[in-house]
Amino acid sequence: MIQQRSKIAKFQSLIALLLMCVVLSLLSDKFLTFANGWNVLRQISVNVCISVGMTLVILTAGIDLSVGSILAFSGAIAAGLLKFGIALPTYDLYIGFTLLGALLAGTLVGAALGTFNGFVITKFKVPPFVATLAMLTIARGFTMLWTKGYPISSLGKEFSFIGTGWFLGIPVLVWIAAIVVLLATILTNRTAFGKYIYAIGGNESAAKLSGININSVKIWVYALAGILAAVGGIMVTSRLNSAQPNAGLSYELDSIAAVVIGGTSLAGGRGTIIGTVLGAMIIGVLNNGLVLMDVSPFWQQVVKGVVILLAVIIDKANHKEE
Amino acid sequence: MKHLNIWALLLLLCLGCGNKNKDGQPKQIAIVVSTLNNPWFVFLAESAAEKAKALGYTSKIFDSQNNTALETDHFENAIAAGYDAILFNPTDAEGSVVNATKATDADIPVFCMDREINSRTAATSQILSDSYAACVQLGKLFVGDLDRQGNYAEILGIVSDNNTWNRSKGFHSVVDNFPDLKMVAQQSAEFDRNKAMEVMESILQAHPDIKGVFCGNDAMAMGAYQATVAAGKEDQVKIYGFDGAEDAVNAVKDGKINATAMQFPKLIAEKAATLADAYFKGERNFRKKLPIAVDVVTPKNIDQYIAYGKKN
Repeated sequence: MIQQRSKIAKFQSLIALLLMCVVLSLLSDKFLTFANGWNVLRQISVNVCISVGMTLVILTAGIDLSVGSILAFSGAIAAGLLKFGIALPTYDLYIGFTLLGALLAGTLVGAALGTFNGFVITKFKVPPFVATLAMLTIARGFTMLWTKGYPISSLGKEFSFIGTGWFLGIPVLVWIAAIVVLLATILTNRTAFGKYIYAIGGNESAAKLSGININSVKIWVYALAGILAAVGGIMVTSRLNSAQPNAGLSYELDSIAAVVIGGTSLAGGRGTIIGTVLGAMIIGVLNNGLVLMDVSPFWQQVVKGVVILLAVIIDKANHKEE
Repeated sequence: MKHLNIWALLLLLCLGCGNKNKDGQPKQIAIVVSTLNNPWFVFLAESAAEKAKALGYTSKIFDSQNNTALETDHFENAIAAGYDAILFNPTDAEGSVVNATKATDADIPVFCMDREINSRTAATSQILSDSYAACVQLGKLFVGDLDRQGNYAEILGIVSDNNTWNRSKGFHSVVDNFPDLKMVAQQSAEFDRNKAMEVMESILQAHPDIKGVFCGNDAMAMGAYQATVAAGKEDQVKIYGFDGAEDAVNAVKDGKINATAMQFPKLIAEKAATLADAYFKGERNFRKKLPIAVDVVTPKNIDQYIAYGKKN
């Protein structure tokens, strides 16, 4: 009996997703089409990338509230460098950036801010909630300083290919998300590093006693979350062909929602990457379906909240026996 | 030559005029803006600061982050710090009244910029851009462009923001008189470009036949445009924005979006700073409300405009 229930628990997100899809396709004949399917996948690809990073963090019983701001800053850095380069008139120096250079620089910025998060959390014992809350405003401030509050637009065809192009019949954004998911799944399931992440979240003292370098693992995890936020930032910027100073506002909440709906425990130690992907899909399908049916924007917020609650309540009930 | 004399006179006036406090410090102006998360308001605040500087005053910009409670803090701080005037872009028509009253009671003049507060006494003067009237004009254009019939969608801004509804109501006051124009979707994208793109993608799925979309600001109009391009429907769907931001002005020029409403943040901000200047010089009779017209910008008249204003 218990075994049966935990089997169902494993697939609860998948069942919920399929159920929603069935209901939505009954309610709207526009839902179950190829074009709409690609729409939903494209729309969730950014959230999937961020949420994968968030999953790693939450598995260690941490949290990262700064992903939305890091996303905005990295995207703006990439866009700004690509468009304007760096000019140092005092030294009569101008550094131009190729597309690859700009993308790399944006990603490095994300990695640096993420590493800083991890450093503050491990060396100064600042709770992750507080440390990343501080980074949320710091990185947003950096974004404002860098963009001076104005969007950086018209970034060229090559750059916008990432956000709008197709490769082998699949949108580039979906490719990126899929690769990120694949790598993260291998990382969590097949590597020692993955085992350490689960061990730290499960029981930090025990993990320490068994000789895991907890600080180093944690710093890496926050760095990865920063890198993935930066990747998300490049995706958003490229999709709009414009870096918006207010990009990524409240994305941390969408991403935490995806992780939680996907069955990852906020207490750490339990959860999967694939669960998070399903969680992001549930949110994406919900967003898309509610607009397709033209549900009032006021009600949409209520519905999304209720779905999150239901997901967590069901998850709790299924894991009582353990 | 005549002009030169006037300028010389002005210069003399400025040099000699009383823009200093008793202890010789220049007067300080606080610029309290609803948000700096939107380029339009950044431009408004910067224009006000520039004009204040040109008039010989120091100024500081306060960002209320769309939060009326934070705005209260800014007002209290500005009053305590002894600012001499406040150029004010309120977060909320009702909620901000208390804040403005607080300053007025402390004998600090308050000049509202762009957005209105619902009180005739709380502010010294209000320089307002008339969103409602502009959207009435946009509505008329919309009806003509769509030939009075067909399905359309509306993308709203933040649903708790009164600008969102001012614009929407102005638009609907015209468009709702035409029963053959049917609004098949009304969704919010929170003034955000990315959200507007996602919402528009979904709307285009549900209603592939829509002929037009009215967006509550330019960022959302640009997002909606991107979605129509992705769906290959950029020729079918007519797009309307609001603000007169740089991207949108360029897009109107290129025929990507059909029209936007040009507000004049620079004009509004400079007017507010000028009124503060007049107040310092002893003027006390101000018109309670100074409406600043909003122009509808289409490909026909786009040549007269640049981002956030008219070409000189």
